[in-house]
Amino acid sequence: MDNMKTLLALFDDIDPAADAVEKLHYLGISNDQINIVSGIPVTEPMLGRPHQWTNVPRLALGGALAGFFIGLFLSVATPLMYPIHVGGQPLIPIPPSIVVIFEMTMLGMLVSTFLGVFLDSHFPSYKPKEYIPEISDGKIAVFFSCPQEKENSIIAALKIIGAKSVEPAEAQQL
Amino acid sequence: MPEMDNSTTKTHNEFSEHLMFDPLPRGVMNDMVMESMQTTSWKFWVIACFLGIIVLVCLFGAWGYLINEGMGVAGVNRPAYWGIFLVNTVFWIGISHAGTFVSALLRVFKAEFRRPFTRAAELMTTFGLVQAGLSIFMHMGRVWLFYFLAPYPNERGLWPNFHSPLSWDFLAINTYLLASTMYLFLPLIPDLAMARDRSKGWRKIFYRTLALGFRGTEGEWTHLRSAMNIFAFAILPVMFSVHTIVSWDFAAAMRPGWSSTIFGPYFVIGALQSGIAAVAMVLVVVRATMKNMKYFIRPEVFDSMGKLMLIISMSWAYFFFNDYLVQWYNGDKFTDILLHFHESGPLGWMWFMMLIFNVAIPWATLWNKKIRRNPAILFTVGFLINIAMYIERYVIVPISLTINRMPFTWRMYKPGVEVWLSLGTLAFFILLYMLASRIVPLVPVWEVQEGQMAHSLRKVGKATVPAVSELE
Repeated sequence: MDNMKTLLALFDDIDPAADAVEKLHYLGISNDQINIVSGIPVTEPMLGRPHQWTNVPRLALGGALAGFFIGLFLSVATPLMYPIHVGGQPLIPIPPSIVVIFEMTMLGMLVSTFLGVFLDSHFPSYKPKEYIPEISDGKIAVFFSCPQEKENSIIAALKIIGAKSVEPAEAQQL
Repeated sequence: MPEMDNSTTKTHNEFSEHLMFDPLPRGVMNDMVMESMQTTSWKFWVIACFLGIIVLVCLFGAWGYLINEGMGVAGVNRPAYWGIFLVNTVFWIGISHAGTFVSALLRVFKAEFRRPFTRAAELMTTFGLVQAGLSIFMHMGRVWLFYFLAPYPNERGLWPNFHSPLSWDFLAINTYLLASTMYLFLPLIPDLAMARDRSKGWRKIFYRTLALGFRGTEGEWTHLRSAMNIFAFAILPVMFSVHTIVSWDFAAAMRPGWSSTIFGPYFVIGALQSGIAAVAMVLVVVRATMKNMKYFIRPEVFDSMGKLMLIISMSWAYFFFNDYLVQWYNGDKFTDILLHFHESGPLGWMWFMMLIFNVAIPWATLWNKKIRRNPAILFTVGFLINIAMYIERYVIVPISLTINRMPFTWRMYKPGVEVWLSLGTLAFFILLYMLASRIVPLVPVWEVQEGQMAHSLRKVGKATVPAVSELE
C-alpha cells in the first residue's frame, strides 16, 4: 500500500466526470478507491457509481418509535402516576392522547432524522481533509488512489477525457 | 439549418426571463450571493439601530414594565381575558406557516419556481415562531413561573395535564419550532460551506463552524437528500397540526363564535393567507434592497406568489363563509348577538375592513398577470392582507370574548401596554431578519444550480417547449 498515491481530478461537468470514473474502472481502480466530491448533489447513477448506503430513514423510523413511546408515557403513564380528575372526563381520554402521541412521534422522527445526518456524515468534523474550494464553484472532483507506477498513464488518460487538472490530493483545513 | 438555429436562439431568448433558463456559472452566482450579504449601506445600519431602539423600548422595556407593575397595565380583564397577546401569538404562528408551506409543499410537488426563495421563506418561520413564543410568555404575566409548564416532579405532586389543549399547544409549537429550525439548517449546510470557502476573518470562523466540515462527498449528499425528503413530507402534517391545535384552544371551548368544527382548517388557511402574503412582501423588499437579488428573484416569482395568494384568498373566503353560515344558522341566541356585534358593533368597521382587504382587493387585482408581476402592487396587496388577517384574529379573540352567555359581564376590551409589545415583536422580527440577511446566504445557490441543470428546451413538433428532468 505504500506505493499508492491519492490524486484529484477536477472536471467542469458531469459527463467528463462520468467518463473519468468509467476510465478509472478500466484502468483497474475499484469503486472503493474512488470518491466524488461535488458542489451539487450528483446522483450515483449519473456517474456510474454504486448506490450510497444511508441510515437516515432507519434512524428516522427509530426516532418515530421512541417519540411514540414518549408520547404514550406522557398521555397514559403520567395521569396514572399523578391522577388529575377533570370533570366528566376519563383519566386517560383517547382523543387528547392522540394529539400528544402524534406530536411526540413527529418530533422524535424529525430530531432523529436531523441527528442521522450528523451521525452518517460524521459531522462535525474539522480535521484537515482532501478538498479544494473550486468544488463549491460547481466543479466535480474525482479523488482516487492509484499505484505510483500507473500515475502518469492515468493522468494522461483523464486529461484526454477532459480533466481540467489532475494533481496530488492534499488534505487542507476547511 | 441556419434558420432552425435562429428560431432556437429566439426561443432561448424568450425563455431567458426565467431564472432556470438563464444560467450563470456557479462561481458567479456564489459571488453574487456573497456580495449581497457583505454589501451593507449606512441606511441599513440606521434602520437597524432604529429597530433596535424600538425593540429595547417597546419589547423589553414595556415587558419589564408589565412584569414590574403586573397584568393591571394590560387591557385584559373580564370578559376578555385573552387580548392582543393571543392575537399576536396566532398572527405570528400564521406568518411562520408560510416558510414551511412554500418550502416543503413546493419541494414535495417539485414546483421549480420555489428554488431561489425557499430560504428567505424558511427564515420567516423561525423568526415568526420566536415572536409567537415571546407573546405567550408575555401573556403568562408571572413569566418567572414559566417552569410550571414543564413536567417535573414537584412538592405538590402535580404534573401538567397533557390532555389539556394548552399542553397540546406547548408540544405542537415546540415541535414546529425545532423542526422548522432543523429544516432551515439542513439545506443551508452546502451554502455555509460555499461561504466558508470565500470568507476571511470572523466570517470564516463562523461559516467553518456552522458548515460542520461539509465537503460535498457522495455520502454527505445522500444523507442530506434523504433527510430533506423526510423533512419535506413529515413537516407538512406538523405544520397543519400546529395551527389546528391553536384553533382548538378556541374551538374546544363552548363559547359563542368559537365552538366550531371547522375552526381547524379555517385557521390553517388563515395562517397561509397571512404567511404567503408576508413571503411576497419580504421577497419584494429583499429584491429591492439587496444587491444582485434582481437576478434571482424575478417577476416570474411574483407571478407565482400572486397566483398562490389569489387561491389562498378564495379558500379563506370559502372557510370564512362556511364557519359564518353554520354559526348563523344554528339559531343560538348569543351567537346571533355576537355575529351582529361583529358587523354592526362599535368595531364593525374592522369586520368590513377584514373582508375588503382579505377578499375584495385580492380578487380585484391578482387575477391580472401585469398586476401580479408588479412588485409594488403585490407588496401593497400583501400588506393589506396582513392587516386584514391581524384584524381577523382581533375579531376572533378580544371582540368575540366581549359577548358571552353572561350579559352582565359584557365589556369592551381596551388594550394597554400590549399595543407597545405588539410593535416590539414586529420590530424584533424585522430586525432579526435584517441581521440574518447579513450572515445567512438568502439564496440556496446549489438548489438554483441544480434546477438550472434540470431545465432544458425540447422540440415538440414545430414548437420548442421547456422540459424539466428528474435529477434525483
